[in-house]
Amino acid sequence: MKPAAFDYVAPRTVDEALNALGDTRRDVRVLAGGQSLILEMHLQRIRPDLVVDINRVAGLDRLSVNDGTVEIGALVRHGVFESPQAVPGPLGRLFALAAVNIAHPPIRARGTMVGSLAWAHPASEWCAIALALDAVIEVRSTGGAREIAARDYFRGPFQTARARDELITSLRFPLPAEDTGVGFIEHRRTHFCFAQVAVAAALTVHDGLISDVRIGLVNCADRPIRAHAAEQVLIGREVIVPAVGDRLPGGHPFARAGRIAADQDAAPLAEPYADPEYRRQVIAVLVGRTLRQAAEGVLQ
Amino acid sequence: MEQWARREDRRLLTGRGQFVADMAVQNCLDAVFVRSGIAHGVVRDVDCAAAREVPGVVGVWSAADLSGLPACAHAAARLQDLPPVPHTLLAKLSTAEAVAGREWPALAKDRVRYAGEAVAVVVGEDRYRAEDGAAEVAVRIDPLPAVVTPSAAAGDSVLLFDGLSNTAFRGEAGTPIEETVWQEAAVVVEARYRQQLLMPTPMECRTILAVPEQDGRLTVWSGHQMPHRLRRELAALLGMPLDRIRVVVPDTGGAFGSKSAAFPEFVTVVYLAVMLGRPVRWIEDRLESMTAATRGRGQDQRVRLAADADGHLLAYELQIDADVGAYPHLGVGLPMQTAWMATGPYATPRVHASVRSVLTNTMVTYPYRGAGRPEATIALERSMDLLARRLGLDPAELRRRNFIPAEDFPYQTPTGRCYDSGNYAAALDLALETIGYDTWRAEQTRRRHDPRALPLGIGLSCYVERSGGEPGGLHDFAGIEAHEDGTIIARCGAASSGQSHETTFPALVAATLGVDESRVQLIEGDTDAQPEGLGSFASRSAQVDGAALHHASALLIDLARERAADLWGTPVEEVEWSDGSVHHVRDGSAAMDVAELVKATGPLSVDDRFESGMGFPFGAHVAVAEVDPELGTVRVLRLVVVDDCGVVLNPAIVRGQAFGSAVQGIGQALYEGIPYGDDGVPLLAGGLLDYLLPTATEVPPIEVKETRTPSPSTPLGAKGAGESGCIGTPAAIVNAVADALQIADPGLLQMPLTPDVVWRAARAAKYEGAR
Amino acid sequence: MKITLTVNGDDYPLDVEPRRILADVLREDCRLTGTHLGCEHGVCGACTVLVDGQAVRSCLMLAVQCDGRSVRTVEGLAGPDGEPHPLQRAFSAEHALQCGFCTPGFLMVAAGALEADPAIGDDPERVHGLVESNICRCTGYEPIRRAIMRAAAESASLRRR
Repeated sequence: MKPAAFDYVAPRTVDEALNALGDTRRDVRVLAGGQSLILEMHLQRIRPDLVVDINRVAGLDRLSVNDGTVEIGALVRHGVFESPQAVPGPLGRLFALAAVNIAHPPIRARGTMVGSLAWAHPASEWCAIALALDAVIEVRSTGGAREIAARDYFRGPFQTARARDELITSLRFPLPAEDTGVGFIEHRRTHFCFAQVAVAAALTVHDGLISDVRIGLVNCADRPIRAHAAEQVLIGREVIVPAVGDRLPGGHPFARAGRIAADQDAAPLAEPYADPEYRRQVIAVLVGRTLRQAAEGVLQ
Repeated sequence: MEQWARREDRRLLTGRGQFVADMAVQNCLDAVFVRSGIAHGVVRDVDCAAAREVPGVVGVWSAADLSGLPACAHAAARLQDLPPVPHTLLAKLSTAEAVAGREWPALAKDRVRYAGEAVAVVVGEDRYRAEDGAAEVAVRIDPLPAVVTPSAAAGDSVLLFDGLSNTAFRGEAGTPIEETVWQEAAVVVEARYRQQLLMPTPMECRTILAVPEQDGRLTVWSGHQMPHRLRRELAALLGMPLDRIRVVVPDTGGAFGSKSAAFPEFVTVVYLAVMLGRPVRWIEDRLESMTAATRGRGQDQRVRLAADADGHLLAYELQIDADVGAYPHLGVGLPMQTAWMATGPYATPRVHASVRSVLTNTMVTYPYRGAGRPEATIALERSMDLLARRLGLDPAELRRRNFIPAEDFPYQTPTGRCYDSGNYAAALDLALETIGYDTWRAEQTRRRHDPRALPLGIGLSCYVERSGGEPGGLHDFAGIEAHEDGTIIARCGAASSGQSHETTFPALVAATLGVDESRVQLIEGDTDAQPEGLGSFASRSAQVDGAALHHASALLIDLARERAADLWGTPVEEVEWSDGSVHHVRDGSAAMDVAELVKATGPLSVDDRFESGMGFPFGAHVAVAEVDPELGTVRVLRLVVVDDCGVVLNPAIVRGQAFGSAVQGIGQALYEGIPYGDDGVPLLAGGLLDYLLPTATEVPPIEVKETRTPSPSTPLGAKGAGESGCIGTPAAIVNAVADALQIADPGLLQMPLTPDVVWRAARAAKYEGAR
Repeated sequence: MKITLTVNGDDYPLDVEPRRILADVLREDCRLTGTHLGCEHGVCGACTVLVDGQAVRSCLMLAVQCDGRSVRTVEGLAGPDGEPHPLQRAFSAEHALQCGFCTPGFLMVAAGALEADPAIGDDPERVHGLVESNICRCTGYEPIRRAIMRAAAESASLRRR
């Protein structure tokens, strides 16, 4: 379990990094947090020719808010988002709910949100959140810069619209309305494994009716999924949350949305201990519960 | 000393422990194995040519390359072809017939029989370079169909060894039960249980470092439970005299039963070290461990349990199809432990257990903490709950009606065991009282009437196990030496892999001799310092080695008295020993510390072999669990474990082991399992992200309590400790889940109780009378 | 590649291959073998060390990434006079180790958190979060949790004095 040999550079500027990435004849990998990359190198499933360590590139660790947008640099670590104050408003609360599900503190001290998007594991919490909340991925190469909408970004397991010579420099999230309620629930077998299913939800209510809803599904297909069909049945509906302790009645809009997310939006694959039938059950239940969590946030 | 609770703690807490991988040896090479990715297949080609060209690679060999070699480099050895892995007939846990024609090669040559089997070895200047070489070895294997459960393999439709049945062994305990017993019984319950394969997973994987010495001897360092056995087996393999090999066990990072053999990799590494005349080490990594280290458990069981209308047990039958793995080793006879212990804590008049041990395309089955007893306990205790439900009896009451009464010991079981001592009802009563059984039953009833509440269940598990070893392996060797400087050296054949021997044994010797603890030092795990020994297995350290040290201390006292009698010219009856000194009975002024006696009369040293009886520890575990039926998740709310291991030498250490063991038991019940693909390859690409050990998050509130029923068959009254949780806890958890769900068919709940399993069970039919 | 690691306050000028992980360089090149490798895929945490005061998996960092940075290992926990760290004393007192293989990792996770926030003991949830970072196969974790709480309480009372 040792990495195969590779060349290594640690550029100081983005341009130097882009130059290194430009050598597309070789297998070049960007090292940010490295918590997936180095693991894969131990297993020799990845044997890069060149590793470009961006940890010394100035400015990539910036986390800034302007004009209703949060910009998250390529070196902002998972652990930063454990505090709901790291990002203002509902988005900060959603990030905090999700962040604690990512491995454990020593991994969160190194791994980065942008790195999760670059790696695009189907069980990534951040990928589904980015998709559901219409994040924009900023990439640069020696040829210039471009933006990729999250909805156009994910192509399959570990496959994205990023070209091999492109570096994701940052990720931008639009800030949801202040009165948006958020929820995030993850289902896994123990503390130490990837999610069998997780759900992120953001719910905005105007005059007692749902005006905007976003549901992101984690590990419910070969890539992150936004549950559009489930969202459709909720728009314009009244929000009535059952009393604490009560299970959602089958006819409740959140329960129905859960069923639709499971049956229409998701395309779950078989894994040991989670066949598609079981996965759909979990999706249906978790979507309902996560919407409820989000709605409780609205009503508070 | 006072600031450390254990003597081991100072070095282990400051980074000064010495595990095999920590040892700096000049010119040492690292070995890496090239392994089959195919579970069952014919080896067509193993091409090492490209690997030999890799910088830093010193040598690469397939099995074919290691036959017919010229005379070896190392003077003391008579190397022939790479020898096979030594099988063992120890304690009748395997048989010559099982092994015949089914030898386990150190490197597979013509056929691979489990995914992970080594087909070539690379040695390099360091692990990185050796792995570079391994990546260049080209292996071509034509796959054959694979069978990974004993039930699937028993039909012999796929043969692991051509011309030989997959069934390697049949055995039984007790007498077959006549059909009329079942026909006439008021109640008979039947069930099938799968005891899944588990990975022992000590935090330190296997290690070996073989150092050919200048004087022609060979020193072997290994994290190991049985250094003397390893020395004996290696000597036989290499054709070396026993005294030319020294095996040393330094700090060892856990074993749990999995580190007691001369594994294929050990055979190869030692062979290469001798052949090359250079130190070679193999530090197993986690990925290798997860493909090629021994597995525990692995039984498909069928049970029948009969009772009269009052719930008195009439008969119990247990049929076991046991998973041997790909080669017959200890896994052949290990399931006999389950058969012998099938009676459990009950006075059932008729008990019959039969074993069929079957070869499968999996890594070899081997003892893992509990080793045969969890399988016996889980089958019986799940069936007891099933029977209680059928009878409409409280499961605690059913057990009370059937316990072997405390006054009936020693008790001869129908399956051939003679239980030394016990008070099973007392353990259960304490467990129920501690957990607040009636309160939880009331809460369960309340929840069953509240549609908003999650279902809750209470699970009981009463166990009796066996410790010390089997006849022929119930002894060990110990010695005590007194030195001029006042030091007392205690030696024994055990080897610690985390059980605190260095703390417990000197305290015991010091108490026996009446000297200050700080004067006593322990030496173990070194075949030069302690010439004979058996090792640490079967929970035997306190029961057997503790007793042996106690016995040797008494011999030292006798010897010292004789010496003093000679010195003083008085009859030995007039010399007494107290507080580390000899003194004259009548004349107190002739007192002499043992150190003074050594100065005056020369070295004082005793060695002896000591044999203990078998011990039968027991206990009662009770779990409370709630289930989320929508997701199938199980939350253990409370676990109480009451263990009785007789007289305890160091309560804090025993309690610590009981606690950790219970957590491993939770692992078997809920989390740990090896899923296999259709091709027989384990689906564990994510390593420990796929094989899930309990983490702190999964540990419920656990209360550990003990009752103390001394063993009459061991001198200290001590029975084995440390395996109780693996034995008693799983059934308590599974029974709690079954009780919460009230399902009619217990076969739906097979371990590990992963959420998908529990969700499906939650949707299944309830038993009659369930609310 | 030539790098300098500052480990437990001492400078180690080294020439290492880029592929060598921090854990191997600490163990083999610096001969600080207290940091153990239990899984090499970031799960078990036996290799946890502090890099610039933060607990990280040393199997998931390259040594070259740590050029010029400060690394602290279990060997650097005790005071300069050899006085044991409160965590070391507490681990012993609570029997928070048996085989001791995972222990350095748990110590360093706890040390990083305790030094960043000496009041961490006031928040048992956070202490629990530390314990659930690593794997121990012997103790069942509860003694480790107690040990960290004990050390935190001791540190807190020292501060008040």
